Amino acid sequence: MVDWQALILSLELAAVTLLVLLPLGLALGRWLARTPWRGKAWIEALVVLPLVLPPTVLGYYLLVAFGGASPLGKLFADLGLPLTFSFGGLVLASVIFNIPFMVQPVQRAFEAIPRDLAEAAACSGLGAWQTLVRVELPLAWPGILSALVLTFVHTLGEFGVVLMMGGSIPGETKTIAIAIYDRVQAFDLAGADRMALVLLLLSLLAVAASFFATTRLTAAARR
Amino acid sequence: MSAGLLIEVEQQRPMPLHGRIEAAPGELLALVGPSGAGKTSMLRVAAGLMKPQQGRVQVGGETWCDVAQGLWRPPQQRHVGLVFQHYALMPHLSALGNVALSLLQRPRAEREREAARWLAHVGLTDELMHRRPAQLSGGQQQRVAVARALARAPRLLLLDEPFSAVDMMNRQGLYRLIADLRRELSVPIVLVTHDLHEARLLADRLVVMDAGQVLQAGTPEFVHRAPRTARVADLVGIANRWTGWWEGGDGTEPGWGWLRWGDAAGGDAAVRLRVRDKGRMSPNRAVTFVIPGDAITLADTHMAGQDGHFAAQVDAVRHQGEITMASLTLAVAGGQPLVLTLSGRERRGLQAGQALAVAFDLAQVHLMPLRPAG
Repeated sequence: MVDWQALILSLELAAVTLLVLLPLGLALGRWLARTPWRGKAWIEALVVLPLVLPPTVLGYYLLVAFGGASPLGKLFADLGLPLTFSFGGLVLASVIFNIPFMVQPVQRAFEAIPRDLAEAAACSGLGAWQTLVRVELPLAWPGILSALVLTFVHTLGEFGVVLMMGGSIPGETKTIAIAIYDRVQAFDLAGADRMALVLLLLSLLAVAASFFATTRLTAAARR
Repeated sequence: MSAGLLIEVEQQRPMPLHGRIEAAPGELLALVGPSGAGKTSMLRVAAGLMKPQQGRVQVGGETWCDVAQGLWRPPQQRHVGLVFQHYALMPHLSALGNVALSLLQRPRAEREREAARWLAHVGLTDELMHRRPAQLSGGQQQRVAVARALARAPRLLLLDEPFSAVDMMNRQGLYRLIADLRRELSVPIVLVTHDLHEARLLADRLVVMDAGQVLQAGTPEFVHRAPRTARVADLVGIANRWTGWWEGGDGTEPGWGWLRWGDAAGGDAAVRLRVRDKGRMSPNRAVTFVIPGDAITLADTHMAGQDGHFAAQVDAVRHQGEITMASLTLAVAGGQPLVLTLSGRERRGLQAGQALAVAFDLAQVHLMPLRPAG
């Protein structure tokens, strides 16, 4: 039996994560691609950190930073938005965990745009915002699309950080990856098997679709 | 304040850039010099893509930049047309879309019409207008870039090595386009090029730059006849340059003086030449001197030894299409090299080993301060 509630929760989490991370990733990725500031290597290292840290270490620090004992956690709990063992907390963890998946492809996409195009746009009278919308975003779009898909799929399959920050509350924090783990723990291999297959197919489909679209977009831009 | 263009720059960082460039409305100025001379940086200062440490930019009576006054207009507020070296066309937009980008302040329908008009003006067909840059040839992309710059209604047109990526066949058509633009636009045009032939062909005036410094400005004719320094002579491709000793005038005829060709000690091989004294060189000093190619002619052998005539031996002859390059050794001051470019009938029959004479029009000899060998 597939735990549809867990699957839907995972899809919701992935969607909300994208919504929060897209503007953040665009802003940070573009800034990193263009800034001449030398200290940017440190920011880039911080961006990559969630990729190299074990999810348990990241989850542990998130717990310390946002748990009920921390000033920040207490503040949010008092506002009725506890950041641990809640959907809101999962979103926060998921956003932080996915920063490299979003920011890096976006940064590469903006870096690949020749610098003189922005200068040509300025000489044509385009302001910074017009240049972004009419020149840079259309050219960076294949990279942004692949960042979106990567982040989405990665959130669907997220396990360690979710377990540390959210536990396994049905309808609140029990995502599909946690549900699969629960089934295996309960020796319900048939249930685990089916859900794993759903997750596998969903991920494969999304990644393949993005590769397909990226190739076509890139070819279209060059044609 | 001039009605044309004035650029003044003084800076050390990020790269040294010094000099003053002026152009009248409708005048075409060519910035020439080796790569790294600062030509493109000057254009970037004019366009507002680079802010100089110190300096001013004035165009058509408007001040675009005055560092001392804290005045700075970004490129968007300059109405400058810049044709980039590699065109910098938007790869995701058609030719039409690229030009229409310069017209964003107009209503949408008018934008397209106006863009099509400019593209037709530079000679692009209707069919090509809907293609993306990657589907156009280098020369066609270049025309799109020019149309985009013109659509901006520029008060200053800047062309950064616009022909470097275009093959020889297509250059002729583009030269004509630039010549036509000069006639119709009444704004200053600045062309950056390292091709001297191109610069002489198109420009009213040359500005010679090297290592971030403006060395000399003037008509191509003037710069070639009277380069200010030996470095300028090198940069504008003057092949024949020698060293000598300037004795100065002897008081008999104002405006003329004696140049000793040979070592300073004035050994037997030295020859004294009566040349123009432009009053810029103090007497009794070592000098570099040049003579333009068209002031050197072949002469009969028996003339050698007379005033301005020298015996010479042909070392090598190279026939290249319609011209012939010959290297000779002059029998003066221990043997001096001379390179001749010949195009008339006299070039036929010229062969290595031949002895002949050459005549210098001594009034065309130009003196410069001596540059240490190197």
